[in-house]
Order: sequence, then structure tokens, then C-alpha cells
Amino acid sequence: MKKFNAYLGMAVSSWLLTVLIIASEIFEPFKNFLKDTFYHHWIGKGIIITLAFIIFGCLLKETKSDEKISWFSVIGSLIIIFLFFVLEYFI
Amino acid sequence: MRDLVLIAHILIGLALIVLPVLILRLSSKKSLLLKPLAGLAAILSWLLLLPAGILYIMFYPATKTLIKSGPYPWLHSILMETKEHYGLLLPLIATLAAYLVFTNKTKESRKWWILLIVISLLIGILGRLLKIGAIA
Repeated sequence: MKKFNAYLGMAVSSWLLTVLIIASEIFEPFKNFLKDTFYHHWIGKGIIITLAFIIFGCLLKETKSDEKISWFSVIGSLIIIFLFFVLEYFI
Repeated sequence: MRDLVLIAHILIGLALIVLPVLILRLSSKKSLLLKPLAGLAAILSWLLLLPAGILYIMFYPATKTLIKSGPYPWLHSILMETKEHYGLLLPLIATLAAYLVFTNKTKESRKWWILLIVISLLIGILGRLLKIGAIA
């Protein structure tokens, strides 16, 4: 049985969260879609990235660079999320 | 009810700082406690979403109104927005770190436990700043 690739599951989830945040802030109907579907956009984002973690963790094959990809994806996402809200506030 | 949920939120949040510190200290000693503690940290990180969600969805809207009409509206627009979304990554980070411990990659898990401590601390500090902003 193929091993669970937690590294790439994490990488996909962190980038997906970043995309979901930016998309829902820029495109109001998308935020409303998340609200209507999951009761609250925060719950929607949480469920979607958790499913992505599980699904992509099961599907993606392991490579030697997974650890680095995962680490820099999470750090990159954390920085972009913060910078996005700073920009959104001032623009 | 709010106080009870808030206490649970703070206590579980603190556990997500204390447990990774313990795991980091034990990781070089190959302790038998390592896997149970890692599993507990991962479980608590998921459990934390419950009080966090209740506080954010049921009780925060009133605080948000206060902050946005006060002198520091950026506390919500920047800090709370960042905090609420960083919180969604916590359980995934804790699960990844615990998974590495369970698959005997304890050394590789160390930086993820450190990241968990940093984000948990940051979320706690941001929460405190928001509280100050709400009563300003």
C-alpha cells in the first residue's frame, strides 16, 4: 500500500487556503457560496483544506524534495496571507 | 457559556505550546512518551477548532463591531483576519508533525513542532491585542 504523503498534503492545503482566502475576499459571490454551502466561510475553508490534505496526501507520490516543498509552502502561505490582509486594508 | 468556551480555548491553546515543548525535549532521548504526546497534540489541535469556531462565529461579531467602530479598525481587518486563518493551519501542522513522529521521523518533525509553538504563541498574542482593541 502506498504511504500517505503528509508533506505534499500539507503543501497543497496551505496554498489552497491562500487561494481560498484571496478569492473569497476579492470575489464576494465566492465568499457567499462558501457561507451558503458550509454555514460560514471559515468552516468552508477549514473543510476544503482538510479534505485536500487527506486526498492529495493519499494521491501524491513521495519525492526527495517533499520536505522542502512542504516547509516553504507553509511559510510562504503564512507570509502571503498576512501581507494580503495588510494590502487589502490599505488599498 | 462564553466564559467556559473561552477557558477551553485558552487551555487547549496553551497545551499546543506546552506539548510541543515537551516533545522537543524528549525527542533526543527516544522516550516512550513521545508518540502518546504527539498523538495528544494532534488530537487537541483538531479539538481546538470547536471552541475557536464557537467564539469566532457566535461571539466575535459583537466584538468585531466594537473594534471596527473604534480607533483601531485594522486590528480586525489585519490581525483577526490573519489569526482566524492561521488557526485553520494549526491542526494540519500538528497532524503532519505527529505523523512524522509515528513514522519514526522524529528528527524531521522537530521544525514542525517549533512552527506549531510559534503559530500558537502568535495566535495567543493576536487574540490579546484584539481584546485590548475591543475595550479601547
